[in-house]
Amino acid sequence: MNSTRIISIILFFALGFLWEGWVAFSNVSSLLLPAPSAVLSVLWLGLYDGFLWPHIKATATATLLGFALGTSVGFAIGVALAEFAPLRRVLWPYVLASQVIPKLALGPIFIVWFGFGLTSIVVITALICFFPLLENTVTGLRSAPRDQRDLFRMLGASRLQTLWRLKIPAGLPLILSGVRIAIVLALVGAVVGEFITGGKGLGASIIAAQSMMDSTLMFALFIAITVMGLLFYQLTIFAERWLLRSRHTGDNL
Amino acid sequence: MRLRRPTSWRFMMTESSPFLDLKHVSFAYPDEAPIISCLSLSLAAGDFHCLVGRSGCGKTTLLKCAAGLLRPTSGTVRIDGKPLSGPSRHVGFVFQTPSLLEWRTVRDNVLLPIALHRRVTRLDHDHALGLLAQMGIADHADRYPQNLSGGQQSRVALARALVTNPPALCMDEPFAALDAITRDELQNDLRQLTRASGTTVLFVTHDISEAVRLASHVSVMDAGQITRSLNVDLPVLADAQYATKAAALGQEIRTALMHSPKVAGA
Repeated sequence: MNSTRIISIILFFALGFLWEGWVAFSNVSSLLLPAPSAVLSVLWLGLYDGFLWPHIKATATATLLGFALGTSVGFAIGVALAEFAPLRRVLWPYVLASQVIPKLALGPIFIVWFGFGLTSIVVITALICFFPLLENTVTGLRSAPRDQRDLFRMLGASRLQTLWRLKIPAGLPLILSGVRIAIVLALVGAVVGEFITGGKGLGASIIAAQSMMDSTLMFALFIAITVMGLLFYQLTIFAERWLLRSRHTGDNL
Repeated sequence: MRLRRPTSWRFMMTESSPFLDLKHVSFAYPDEAPIISCLSLSLAAGDFHCLVGRSGCGKTTLLKCAAGLLRPTSGTVRIDGKPLSGPSRHVGFVFQTPSLLEWRTVRDNVLLPIALHRRVTRLDHDHALGLLAQMGIADHADRYPQNLSGGQQSRVALARALVTNPPALCMDEPFAALDAITRDELQNDLRQLTRASGTTVLFVTHDISEAVRLASHVSVMDAGQITRSLNVDLPVLADAQYATKAAALGQEIRTALMHSPKVAGA
């Protein structure tokens, strides 16, 4: 372990103790700022008792479904826009408009269309993580160097072959960084979606905890969401490393 | 389309019908001054023709026209008598950069021109490995390009261009970024491989000594036109006369480069 990582961990504990000390000695109300120890014990209770698990499961499901839908649609449309320049010119203003409009403002109409369930949350989540993938796909597919594109022309490669064997692999690093951004946004989308629709999920639980003035539980839920986000992010990093393995470490001897 | 593949390039040089023939070729991007104007150039089968010129004289544009990557604004390009209408699979192209696919192994990179059109057979694998072996990099066949040195990458690019046995090869300063010793080795490899197969080569370079070493013909280019053409008739490298004659020829090319007549209006 290198020294920067050790410092990073020491900082974490130092801030935790500082916070704990501040709460203990300043008589600040636990309603405003709960002590870390109290938050951790609520979190532990929730996990041990099991009342948090259904919510974690609900949020994870919404995040992953929305992510899968948003990224695959984003990738497909990105390929179409990159390959057909006229289509790009026609559709780009609409794509841009779909991003400028705050997607959460669409929440109420989605509830009207799809009801208060999972579908509305998944649609909001998908809309949020659609754009980073679309944009990175369009940029990525155009990132193959001039010489390589000329090479494929010289070799008489078909359009599909050029896409499949040159443009997508050449753009893969950019496309995957879009995936990394999308997974983080997907969790935000799912949690905020749950704010609006209510019911199950970590986001809905935050609203419920707020109505009960239970700040300690809210902080516990923040931690659960953060850990879930880090976990998803780490998974995309592993996937990226695996897909780009030949380019990083090179030899697979 | 089956193309003639001469086995002995020396004899073919005197043949009357050119193998690669550019007639009155001009090229300009829309609304811009022409890059090459009304240029004619003929290569007999088996010729090793070097285009020498300063940066920006249009030699790469000419090369891309000859390969079919660029369509001339006027004039015709013929290969073995047939007019060229687009990139030709009978012309191998070696770019300024090795342009290898970094997500494919060396072997797959070399086999790419075949894999795009049909199933790769055992025989193709042997052929590719043979080419790599001739250039002394067969051991690296299963490595990825970015783990190879610049010289090794250039060799892979050369092997990729030769794997389909194209009757003609267009090369755009492929060795410009290499160190002197590696460049010498690659020049030798290239000469051996193309002579053995009778490949017609159009080779762009700004390096006079490279042109003298490689070429059977040298054309000096300036401002989109050929200003001087020379036959290279040097004795073999081992000959005592070689150095003096090569130096004299190099001087002649240098003089032609420096005193190129300016195009009217320039």
